[in-house]
Amino acid sequence: MMPQPAGAIAVSDDPLHAPRAHDGRAPDVFRPGGWTPMRQYRESEPVDFAIVGTGAGGGTLACKLAEYGFSVVALDAGPYFRPLEDFASDESEQTKLYWTDDRIVDGANPLHLGSNNSGKAVGGSTVHFAMVSLRFRPEWFRSRTLLGYGADWPLDWREMWDYYAEVEQALKISGPVTYPWGPPRPRYPYRAHPLNGAARALAKGCEALGIKWTETPLATLSAPRGLAHPCVYRGFCVSGCSTNAKQSALVTWIPRAIAAGAEIRDLAMVGRVEVEPSGLVSGVHYHRDGAWRFQRARNLVVAGYAIETPRLLLNSATSRFPDGLANSSGLVGKNLMAQSNQAVWGRLEHEVRSYKGPPSLAMTEHWNYEDKGKDFFGGYSYMSQGPLPQLWANTLFSARGLWGESLVEAMKDYNHVVGLKIVGEMLPQESNRVTLADEVDQYGLRIPCITYSWCDNDKRLIDHSLKFMSRALEAIDAHDIWIQDDDTCHLNGTARMGSDARTSVVDADCRSWDIPNLWICDGSVFPTVGGANPSLTIQAIACRTADRIRVLARRGELNAAVPRRTSRHQRSTEVHRS
Amino acid sequence: MKLPGERDLVALAGIAASGVALVSLLSATASARSSGSRLAPHRIRASRAATVKTARELNRAAGTLAASVLADSSVEHYRGSFKNKAMYTPLAVSALALATSLHGTADVRPLAHKARDATYLLAAATGLVGSGFHLYNVGKRVGGFSWQNLFYGAPIGAPMAILLSGLLGFCSERVREARRTRPRIFGLPAGRTIAAVAGAGLLGTTGEAGLLHFRGAYHNPFMLLPVTLPPIGAALLLSAAGGGSGRTHRFTRWWMRVLTAMGVAGVGFHAYGVSRNMGGWRNWSQNILNGPPIPAPPSFAGLALAGLAALDLMRAHPDA
Repeated sequence: MMPQPAGAIAVSDDPLHAPRAHDGRAPDVFRPGGWTPMRQYRESEPVDFAIVGTGAGGGTLACKLAEYGFSVVALDAGPYFRPLEDFASDESEQTKLYWTDDRIVDGANPLHLGSNNSGKAVGGSTVHFAMVSLRFRPEWFRSRTLLGYGADWPLDWREMWDYYAEVEQALKISGPVTYPWGPPRPRYPYRAHPLNGAARALAKGCEALGIKWTETPLATLSAPRGLAHPCVYRGFCVSGCSTNAKQSALVTWIPRAIAAGAEIRDLAMVGRVEVEPSGLVSGVHYHRDGAWRFQRARNLVVAGYAIETPRLLLNSATSRFPDGLANSSGLVGKNLMAQSNQAVWGRLEHEVRSYKGPPSLAMTEHWNYEDKGKDFFGGYSYMSQGPLPQLWANTLFSARGLWGESLVEAMKDYNHVVGLKIVGEMLPQESNRVTLADEVDQYGLRIPCITYSWCDNDKRLIDHSLKFMSRALEAIDAHDIWIQDDDTCHLNGTARMGSDARTSVVDADCRSWDIPNLWICDGSVFPTVGGANPSLTIQAIACRTADRIRVLARRGELNAAVPRRTSRHQRSTEVHRS
Repeated sequence: MKLPGERDLVALAGIAASGVALVSLLSATASARSSGSRLAPHRIRASRAATVKTARELNRAAGTLAASVLADSSVEHYRGSFKNKAMYTPLAVSALALATSLHGTADVRPLAHKARDATYLLAAATGLVGSGFHLYNVGKRVGGFSWQNLFYGAPIGAPMAILLSGLLGFCSERVREARRTRPRIFGLPAGRTIAAVAGAGLLGTTGEAGLLHFRGAYHNPFMLLPVTLPPIGAALLLSAAGGGSGRTHRFTRWWMRVLTAMGVAGVGFHAYGVSRNMGGWRNWSQNILNGPPIPAPPSFAGLALAGLAALDLMRAHPDA
């Protein structure tokens, strides 16, 4: 056998099969082969917070709580990737970032699960998200009262505006100098990226139709930041960024969390929440290294996103909570909301090469902020598109039925393709829901069944957007225009927040009404989804939740030790970032 | 290995020539002061020796700017694939202006030179036309004169550098040919005019650096230097241009030397900036184009040198 040089990466270092975060260290995502020291906690001693999931919700909260001095263990079912080494410029290889465990989908419009609505990795789906970082329209937080649909949030938009600013700073969002819609917001920390051909096409279409457009605020660097390089416009963003320009939770919140004393456990699938006879959570059962383990915790945060979160709560039913945890309202798993993701495609005479750079460099929120001329509730934004070749071939096959020679012919036009795609609001319906199937997965856990059907309002919104975007493409002399009318993205709802225990699962602090030391902090708490990508809002809610937890702890209203180590860990964080 | 194409060679030649020239111009700083008296005929009066010395210093300043333009336009227009044939123009003209400036720096005769005059006027005209081209490029992009296009379209301020090089060179010839009379440019006192031109140039270059460093979100605190130090220098120069005679301008001179050093140090900072892109200097062929423009900062040095020359002239000819 060949001797391995010192420092070389061992052949057995397969993040999909062996945990990387152990022995007091975690991968240093900024240095090939590097490690960063990581504090570890005993399973037998309760930590202040065990967090299930390390994505936009869990990763953010792990960082903030650790920096506030709480002891934190964050568990993720997915691998701990090293983006500089593990990510290939290959769409098939990168499907390893998706959550593709067994699930059942049904309903009139079954969801396609995988690429654009799930992630299985430390950092969650932010590892392959499209980085679009939009704030919600302020009125959406009171959509029932002000706009007449959906449900009101228990949050005030002005408070959220401050938390948005915090997240935008934490991710060094690259955005336009002035944002055309909504109330004033602080300057984005980094400047917008240059537009690519697809973005210029969107801009021309908007100008022709007389509506505003803007450079999309994106969580990818337009200038260096620490050890992360600025974006090289490789275009593989939604297949995982191999340069660390993308400000995913994996390269932002999680390194901060570890520096502040949090422990990350990768390849750790949580299967069941343990509830004591007192009615409080005492810890979680999780599967790691081939065995079931138990981590004791004073508080538990479930941040598994809109399918795994209700699945875990439902799978943890006890005789005391026969319908699942936190489910006295009966709403756990209900009101699942995807976002409509329909597109209009066309062909331009000149080359567009839409795959260059981040996929959505320009966008318009016109129909999020304009209420006149709509025959539907809610709003939508639309963005320029840059499908990679395999995705594009799949789209041509699945949406247009092209195959064989006709597919080859169509692919020859790839450089000329231009497209506009919406992120559209879908209304909450209790019939759209996550339940448990009788079948079990590789861990022996009952798999989720996801039922989804569009309501008439959803269809009217989609119809409106497709007509409008068709006009936008016609206005820039695109031809061979066609419509992709069946796609969805992002998942929210299933554990909505509210101000009444009878009609919601958690309160404004993401604390469950039923079990005071059980928290839910991810996209599941959304009462409505709006027509904007949810990641920034999830992170803003997580930052707010951390602040609220600190306040509650100081008041003695929390099942946790009062944090003591704040200053030291904040210092160590700064050292790490510099 | 692929053989370099015509464009690669043109760009490489431009960078190499400007680099060599810049080093020789700046390293000549010390000798330029003494050589004037060593090589000049004895009968020339001290003040005339001073005008020639000032003229040569101005040639050096014009040359520094031309070198910066030659290297910068080589890199940036190469990046733009010389899509429009006119994009070769600044390379040719700045190379000419650079050669002319080297010639002028070495020339101790108190006579204007027709070829130099013509070249400098051509350089100035190129700067004006180039600015027009760049404005047109920005304006025609979707969004018009928006931040997006000011950031990523053709840099509006860049052609001004070759205009300034031409103007300073032209001034140099006027100073040089002043025999018995005090040197004048278009009927204005030469020293004050040059100080004003250099001051205005510093302000314009500050605007360019400010725009592009804003694009970089001032992510490194040193990016604030070229938007804070030069405006002070510009104010000092403009105050010298408009102030009473007989002042020594010691602080202003000192400040000009600081700006010269800043312009040279900027090359190092920009080289570091290149290293912070993916792959660092190992990926030089991509990152030199992506990263901060390495040849741009010496523009400040060129203008500061012109400011120094103007102050020298004002010292030798109090009413100039």
